[in-house]
Amino acid sequence: MTPTIELDGLEVQLGGRTILQGLTGVLKSRAIGLLGPNGAGKSTLINTLLGFHTPSKGRVRVLGLDSHANSKELRSLVGYMPENDAFIAKMSGVRFVRYMAEISGLPPEQAMERAHEAFVYVGLGEARYRPVGTYSLGMKQLAKLAQAIAHGPKVLILDEPTNGMDPPARKRLIELIREIREASDICLLLSSHLLRDVEETCDEVLILRNGKIASICNLVEERRANRKFLELETLGAEANFTSALEGLGCECAVFTSGRIKVVMPDSVEIREVFKVAADRGVQIRRMNHRRDSLEDIFLSAMEQTGAPDGRL
Amino acid sequence: MAVYKRRYNSYTGSLTPQWSRFFVLTRFAFMDLFKSRFFVILLILCIVPCLFSAGYIFVANNKTLQLLMQVRSEAADFFKVENQYFIIIMVVQAEAAFLLNCWVGPVLIAGDLTNGALPLFLSRPFTRADYVFGKLAVLGLLLSAVTWVPCLLLFALQAGLAHDGWIWSHLWMVVPIVLCSAIWILALSLLSLAVSAWVKLRIVATGVTFIIFFIPAGLGEMFNAIMGTHWGALLNFSYMFRIILERGFRDPYRMLGRMARNEIPISAAWASLICLCVLSLVILNARLRARETVRG
Repeated sequence: MTPTIELDGLEVQLGGRTILQGLTGVLKSRAIGLLGPNGAGKSTLINTLLGFHTPSKGRVRVLGLDSHANSKELRSLVGYMPENDAFIAKMSGVRFVRYMAEISGLPPEQAMERAHEAFVYVGLGEARYRPVGTYSLGMKQLAKLAQAIAHGPKVLILDEPTNGMDPPARKRLIELIREIREASDICLLLSSHLLRDVEETCDEVLILRNGKIASICNLVEERRANRKFLELETLGAEANFTSALEGLGCECAVFTSGRIKVVMPDSVEIREVFKVAADRGVQIRRMNHRRDSLEDIFLSAMEQTGAPDGRL
Repeated sequence: MAVYKRRYNSYTGSLTPQWSRFFVLTRFAFMDLFKSRFFVILLILCIVPCLFSAGYIFVANNKTLQLLMQVRSEAADFFKVENQYFIIIMVVQAEAAFLLNCWVGPVLIAGDLTNGALPLFLSRPFTRADYVFGKLAVLGLLLSAVTWVPCLLLFALQAGLAHDGWIWSHLWMVVPIVLCSAIWILALSLLSLAVSAWVKLRIVATGVTFIIFFIPAGLGEMFNAIMGTHWGALLNFSYMFRIILERGFRDPYRMLGRMARNEIPISAAWASLICLCVLSLVILNARLRARETVRG
């Protein structure tokens, strides 16, 4: 299977400054998140993928297509939602999307049909005949998403898609992105400051720091690896409770205030823990599937690369 | 992604040929332009002189009508359709094209740049050259409709009415009609696109387009007066166009009195307009960039 993104010693210089420094890595998942502090090089990487910047060294391939040598073929597969304002203020929403779809090569009738569909799909059906310039910030974000998907791209590049959106609108947009991902074989590259956005939509994360790769992390595997790690808050737990759990094959670490951390083998189910507790009259007040959150992974990546605070 | 299903589907239909996509820009720009009543009135006004010219040609070739109008035989020379007549028509239409260009040109690119829409065009299989070509085609078609196209129609009308071998003795005029119009259209279009890419406000862009034609001309005259030369006229682009026009129509001395005194070679006039085009292209190249701000 062709990797979604292949970075091969990618270096990009802008204005005499090296922005991306020797990025090397392979990202195979269909939904890739791009994380990093301000100035880490996320937008530069996206612009390089789109062929807007020429690599000074190395190369980057998307679905096997070189971003520089095959930029036209690559762009014909891409739907791009930029971070900043990108619209034509006087055009009605649906006409704007139709315009963009026609430039992508759709015949006028199909472009018009797809523009209407895309607008209704993103939830702006009622506002489609209004000039884009009159839209609220959240609506403009949705209009940008509509133009990015109207021509049916194979790769969807979203740069800070939830910027400036209120929580319900953000939730709706994240749902849409997940729906798009599930409903087709589209590949997704999402750059965001919000770890939660990436966590909810992506399977793999590329973390950048000062133009270098801080970490490439497969979230699916991380989730799987941490699935059997429990945090319990108990009342009335005695040594016999932990020894009973250990008898099942679990490893236990007991802390103060009845807190117990349990690593369970694959053969043990959670209901067996409940059964042991019930047999010994132990109350389980709280139970967490403790797993490394993306925040932990991100902060760990920042620490490893010597970041002072890891602040986004 | 049908509306009623509200589900995303990728597109699997046919695509238009790559080479034809620049014309989408042209088509959309024309749709926007023809929504403006002012533009339609301006376009009609630009064509009105050609209608008068057609009437003139008709009278010039109709002896009966001249008799009815009681035109005296010595005044009949006034109704003469030769190269000088076409120079006058071309000059009038070139000025009309200039006005039309000042109205249409400034909105073409500024609207896309104001709200950062350019990356949306260039993230598609669509190059900067396609973009400029698409916008240039708007002005090219529009200015053609008021310059060489009506002039050729007038030429055809005269050829049709004159009969006695007029067309064969004047066929060479087709070349200057087309060539002179082409350089004027190219210079005007590229200049107004460059201004549109540089200045985002329409009214300011229109003003700048006017200024570029009048201020350098004034500076050139000052240069001439101070230095006692005539080379400052190279900055007067309208004047350079007239030199090309009159040399092209093989009439360098009768229509343009100044020419006899201040001899500027036609090659210099061509070079002046070509330099204007190159400068405009340099500005377009600098301004039409897809990349966004790189922070940090």
